Amino acid sequence: MRTSLLILVTLSLAHAAVGNAQTIPRTPDGKPDLSGIWQVMNTASWDLQDHAAQKGVPGGPGVVDGNDIPYKPEALAQKKKNYEQRATLDPETKCYLPGVPRITYMPFPFQIVQKPNELTILYEYVHTVRYIFANGTPHPKGPIEWWLGDSRGRWEADTLVVDVIHFNDQTWFDRAGNFHSDALHVVERYTLLDPDHINYAVTIEDAKVFTRPWNMNMILYRHKEKNFQLYEYECYGFDFEKLYPYPDLGAAR
Amino acid sequence: MKTRQLVVALGICVLSTVALGGQTSRPWPPQKLSDGQPDVQGIWAATMAGSTSLTNPISGGEDFDQRVSGAEIKRPSRIIDPADGLLPYQPWAAARQKQEQKDYEHPTRPEHIDTQHRCLLSGIPRLYTIVPAYKIVQTPGQVMFIWDEYHAYRVIPLDGRPHVAANVKLWMGDARGHWEGNTLVVDTTNVRGARLTYIGDFYSENAHITERMTFVDANTMTYEATVTDSTVFTRPWTMRITHKRRPDDEVWENACWEGNVNPDVWLDANAK
Repeated sequence: MRTSLLILVTLSLAHAAVGNAQTIPRTPDGKPDLSGIWQVMNTASWDLQDHAAQKGVPGGPGVVDGNDIPYKPEALAQKKKNYEQRATLDPETKCYLPGVPRITYMPFPFQIVQKPNELTILYEYVHTVRYIFANGTPHPKGPIEWWLGDSRGRWEADTLVVDVIHFNDQTWFDRAGNFHSDALHVVERYTLLDPDHINYAVTIEDAKVFTRPWNMNMILYRHKEKNFQLYEYECYGFDFEKLYPYPDLGAAR
Repeated sequence: MKTRQLVVALGICVLSTVALGGQTSRPWPPQKLSDGQPDVQGIWAATMAGSTSLTNPISGGEDFDQRVSGAEIKRPSRIIDPADGLLPYQPWAAARQKQEQKDYEHPTRPEHIDTQHRCLLSGIPRLYTIVPAYKIVQTPGQVMFIWDEYHAYRVIPLDGRPHVAANVKLWMGDARGHWEGNTLVVDTTNVRGARLTYIGDFYSENAHITERMTFVDANTMTYEATVTDSTVFTRPWTMRITHKRRPDDEVWENACWEGNVNPDVWLDANAK
């Protein structure tokens, strides 16, 4: 019961973003239209929390509400170990799909394709594809361990709320070793503030790793450059890029 | 062929059998979307699919059968031009294809591993010959193809914008499209070069691909791709493969990622 109350409180905090209902674009069915190419402008990919710059790491304010991530004691020890060994342990170096919400704040653009009953997000990073089913269907019965989890969306007023479960425990939240277990439950809230900005609020719940739910908050910015388009970022777990199509032919020789 | 490859081939064979279920009824002629595009959205897949060969496109299962029985299986070539059904290689490129076919059978170096087994993007037109399905999504001014396998996708703008700079080389190339009636015509440049089949067929980074995807009824699409590449071929050539609509089921995660298998498992053990 105490946990439920806590979730309610944290969810309502995360829900604080309200857009300007008059100026935001809408689809024919009246929902806010999130279609377009978006990208964060922050350093969460390197470290979710406030951090100063290091060689190769841009510094910046974090995206965690209150800056503290409420690890259980043994999980905090694991986080510290992850940080120390991040150069080899970070799943990003193995080309795994990066999980949710990490895929959102990777330093790459992504395209939201919105249909009334389904949203598709095409991410440039590792050409990741994610479907958000918004037709009222429930999560499939688990246990299922997916890299990106199972995403079910619904509209609460002008906010797209996406409930994501069925994760594996193989992904991190950032390059600083912040991590989760397969009990991860993510609630994302996409709220258009105006035509070119989405408030992206995330509640993280994982009773195996954290003592309570906690929130992230950041802005997604629309790419408005003329003819902007996604390129592609293929990920090479081994040093093979130069070998294709054949070593002495092709672009990467 | 190594056991692991046989297992993959068999698995694909089973998948293709299961997936050939019923089709969804759709209006024909197709409804028009708000920007005038014919609505061809939904899940589709190639028939008689498989990446083994373009000139003798046997399935993975047939490839397995003929390796077990020793009896060669022949299928009609997918090449409709030139008329002999063969790829019009320049002599050096024909020799290269034969060598790559041998290397595929007995891989000794990482570069002998096919891109599909590395979970790298297969590119165009190869992704239209694979067994797993793909989804077509249309929004104003663009058509998207999203494959189940390899989480591959392509976004095709219809607004006539120019191609990206010539020095940009992409696994999927850079596609620009327009509709001619119920035919989606796609012009693709900026490729990296690509492998087209398991038996070593290929084009270079200078290839230019023109695709004509003609939706002939509510459940059938004829896919044609013309490849022009004066580096590798003596003349342009055209392939054709029929695609059919599949049921509109939810598409679930299919994570094929490049780092998932140590490359050594693919190589002939005695060659290391």
